[in-house]
Amino acid sequence: MKSQARKLVIAVAAGCASIAAVALVRGKAGGRRAGKLRVERGLTALRLVARGGARYASNAPRLFASAGEHRQQLRNDLALQTAEDVAATLGTMKGVLMKLGQMASYVDNGLTPAARRTLSRLQDSVPPMSPELAARVVTEELGLPPEQAFATWDPVPIAAASIGQVHRAITLDGRAVAVKVQYPGIAETIEADLGNVGLLRRMLKITAPSQDVDALLAELRERITEELDYRAEARNQQLFAGYYRGHPTIHIPEIIEELSTRRLVTSDLADGARFAELAGWSQAERDLAAETIYRFVFRSLYEMHAFNGDPHPGNYLFGGGGRVTFLDFGLVKHFTDDELRPLVEMVKHLCVENDPEAFRRAMVDAGFLMPDTPLPTDMIVEHMALFYDTVRERGSRTMTGEYASAVSRRFFDFRSPLAAYAAIPRSYVILQRINLGLFALLAELSATADWRCIAEEIWPFVQAPPCTPMGAAEATWLAGRRDLAQARRAVP
Amino acid sequence: MTEPKGRDMTEPKGRLKGAPEASGETEREKNTALVERSAAAYASAVPDQPQDDGFFGPASVTWRVTGDLSAPIAGLRSLLIQALHPLAMAGVDQHSDWRLDPVGRLAATSGYEATVTYGDRASATRVAERVRTIHTRVRGVDTVTGQPYAAGDPALLLWVHAALVDSALAASALFGTPLTDADADAYVREMTIAAELLGVPHEIIPASVAGLGRYLAGVRPELRCTPAAAESMGYLLDQIGLEEDIAELWQDIRDAVIATLPDWAREMYGYPAPAPVTAERRTEIRQALGVLDAVFLAEPGVLEARQRLALRMRSAGSKAG
Repeated sequence: MKSQARKLVIAVAAGCASIAAVALVRGKAGGRRAGKLRVERGLTALRLVARGGARYASNAPRLFASAGEHRQQLRNDLALQTAEDVAATLGTMKGVLMKLGQMASYVDNGLTPAARRTLSRLQDSVPPMSPELAARVVTEELGLPPEQAFATWDPVPIAAASIGQVHRAITLDGRAVAVKVQYPGIAETIEADLGNVGLLRRMLKITAPSQDVDALLAELRERITEELDYRAEARNQQLFAGYYRGHPTIHIPEIIEELSTRRLVTSDLADGARFAELAGWSQAERDLAAETIYRFVFRSLYEMHAFNGDPHPGNYLFGGGGRVTFLDFGLVKHFTDDELRPLVEMVKHLCVENDPEAFRRAMVDAGFLMPDTPLPTDMIVEHMALFYDTVRERGSRTMTGEYASAVSRRFFDFRSPLAAYAAIPRSYVILQRINLGLFALLAELSATADWRCIAEEIWPFVQAPPCTPMGAAEATWLAGRRDLAQARRAVP
Repeated sequence: MTEPKGRDMTEPKGRLKGAPEASGETEREKNTALVERSAAAYASAVPDQPQDDGFFGPASVTWRVTGDLSAPIAGLRSLLIQALHPLAMAGVDQHSDWRLDPVGRLAATSGYEATVTYGDRASATRVAERVRTIHTRVRGVDTVTGQPYAAGDPALLLWVHAALVDSALAASALFGTPLTDADADAYVREMTIAAELLGVPHEIIPASVAGLGRYLAGVRPELRCTPAAAESMGYLLDQIGLEEDIAELWQDIRDAVIATLPDWAREMYGYPAPAPVTAERRTEIRQALGVLDAVFLAEPGVLEARQRLALRMRSAGSKAG
C-alpha cells in the first residue's frame, strides 16, 4: 500500500513539471523585459519541480510549517473532502490539542512522554484536503477558482501545515508562489474548543505539569487565536521581509498581499536544503548557517522588538554560504519597549557591566523574581548565569548538546530554592523558545562561533563593529538601509 | 478468560471496591492501562488483508456507529444495562475474573466486538465460536433470585445483545452523530447477525427500533440492581484503570453515560438525576471524548487501523454513490 502511495506521489510530481513548462511558454509571450523575468521565474519553478519531485516522493518533506514535520506522508488517499470531514478530524479538541502540542514545544521538557506521543500522533492523523476542497477555500477567499486566480495551480499540496496545507502556484504575472490554504471551518472549531477553559486547564496540567497553567493557557489561547487569522501571519511575515530585504544571508519570502486573506497566505516560493540535509555539509557551512540563525533571532528581538516564536528546524531552508530562508511567521510575538527594556537591562548588567545587584533589580522589574525574595544575590546570579553562558565572555565556543540540556534542566529545576520566588511573566513565555529551542538547534549543528562577539554587534547598548565576515556584510547592509531611509525622508 | 470460581458462589457480595483480595504492584498494573489494552485489542481486530468484508462491511451503518465518537459511552452504557439482568450479572460475577483483571476483561470484550464488526467472516466466526465454547461452562444458580442460569441461554444472550444495540443508538443520539430513523432501523437489523453468531435464533432477535423497544419493555420486570451489579458497575464508573491524567477526563464521560440511561435504569442504580444535556454540555462532553479519542489514537497501530477502515469505507461509499 505504501509503495502504491509513493508511486502516486511520483506521478503527481511528474504532472507538476508539465504545469511549470506551460508557465514558461506563457511567460515568454510577455514584453521583453517582463518576459525575461517571467522566464527566469518559470525556470526557477521548473527547477524546483524537477528537483523537488524526487524529494517529495522520497521523503515527503514540506516547504512550510513545523507541524508537518510529523506527517511524513501526505495521505492523499484519505484526503478530507468536506468541511464535515475537517470537523470530524480536527474538531472536538483535536485541532486545539495539535496546536497546543506545537506550541507546548516551548515547554518541551515539561511534556510527559505520553503527552508528546499523543500530540505527535495526532498530527500524523490529519490527512490533507482533497484538491476540490482546497479549491473551494481558494474560491471563497479570492472570489475566483484557483485556475483563474492563478496562471497555474498545482492541485496537489506539497506540504502540510498545522491547520492547512501548502500548494504551489504561479501568479497571473508569473511569480512562483507557495499558497497556504486553511482548512475550512477549522477556525470556528478551534475557537469553540478554546472556550472550554476547564478542559484546557486539565490538559495543560497533563501535558506540562510543571508550568504556571493559567499564564501558559492565556498565552496559548491568544497565540492560537491569532494564528487562525492568516492575515496576521501575512502582516508579520511582510514586516520581517521588509526589515531584512537585501540582507546578505537572511531571506524571507515576500507576501503577495492581494492573494492573502484570512484563510490564504501567498508568498514567494522558496527553495533550499532542509535542516536534516545540513548534516552532510561541512562544519564551516553549518557554522555559517548557525550564525545567520543566531543573528536573525537576536536582531529581530533587539531591533524589531519581535520574536518569531517558532525556531523550528522545519521552518528553515538553507542555501549555503550562510544563506537561510525563514518560513512560517504564524507565531510572532511583538514586544513593547517596556516589555523589552528589563530584558536588555538584565543582559547589560550581567554580561557587560558586571553589576549583580542591578541585574537582580532588572529581574524584579521584569517580573521574573519576586521583589522580596529572601535569597542572596550571588545565588540568584549563579542560577541565572547559565542562560547567559554563551555571551558572558569573548572567545570561540561550540554549542553542545550538554549545554543545551543543562539549560533546559536548569530551566525546569523546580527544586531549586529560587523556584519558589521565580516566575515567567506571560509576555515572556514565548521567549522560552530561545532557551529551549534555539540552543538545542545550534547544538544540533555543533555550531562554533564567538557568540559574545556577535551579540555585541547586535546589543543596542554596545553596537560594536563587525567581528565576522558576515557581520561586515551585515554592516554594509545596515548602512544601506540607513541611506535608503534617509533618501526616502528626503523625498517630499 | 472465565475460569470458574466456585468460591464466589458462597462469598458475601457487595464489596464496594474492586479487587480487594489481591493487592500490590501487579494488581495496580492490571488496573491501569485500559487505553493501551483496548487499543491493542482494537488494532489487532481490524484486519490488514481481510478475506472478505465480514458480516457488516464498509457500507454498513454498523461500521459507522461502531466508529462514532460516542462509542465509549455506548460501551459503558451497555455494560450498565446488561448488568441489571440478575442472571446475566450472576454469570459474569461467578465465572469471570473481572475482579482480578477488570481492565483485561473490558479490553477482551471490546476486542471481541471489534473483531465481529470489522473482521472477515472467518475471524468473526472463530471468535464467536470461542465465546460459545466458554459459555457452555458458564452455568450456575443466581444467589439473589435463586434461579439457575446458563450463559448459552438464548434469552440471556439476546438481552446482552439488545442492551448493546440500544446503547449504541442512545449514545450516538445524545453525544454522537445521530442516525436517521431509517439508519437506526438498518443498524438494529444489521446487528441481528452478531446475536446469531452467539447462538440466538434469528426469529427472536428484534430487527427494528420499534421491535427492540418492545423487547426491552418486555424484559423490564425481570431487571433489578443486585449487589454484584452495584459493585461491578460502581467499580466501572468510579475507578476503572486509567492513568491519573486521563482519569481527570473521566468525570465528564461518567456523567455522560449516566445521562444516556433511561430513568428506570438510573433509578435502579440510585444515581441522582443528571442535569439536562444542553447544547453546551453536549459540546463539552464531545470535547472530552475527543481528548480521550486522541489518547486512544496515539496507541500503536490504532491510527493505521483507522486508516485501513477509512479507506475501505471511502471506496465503498464512492461505489455506492
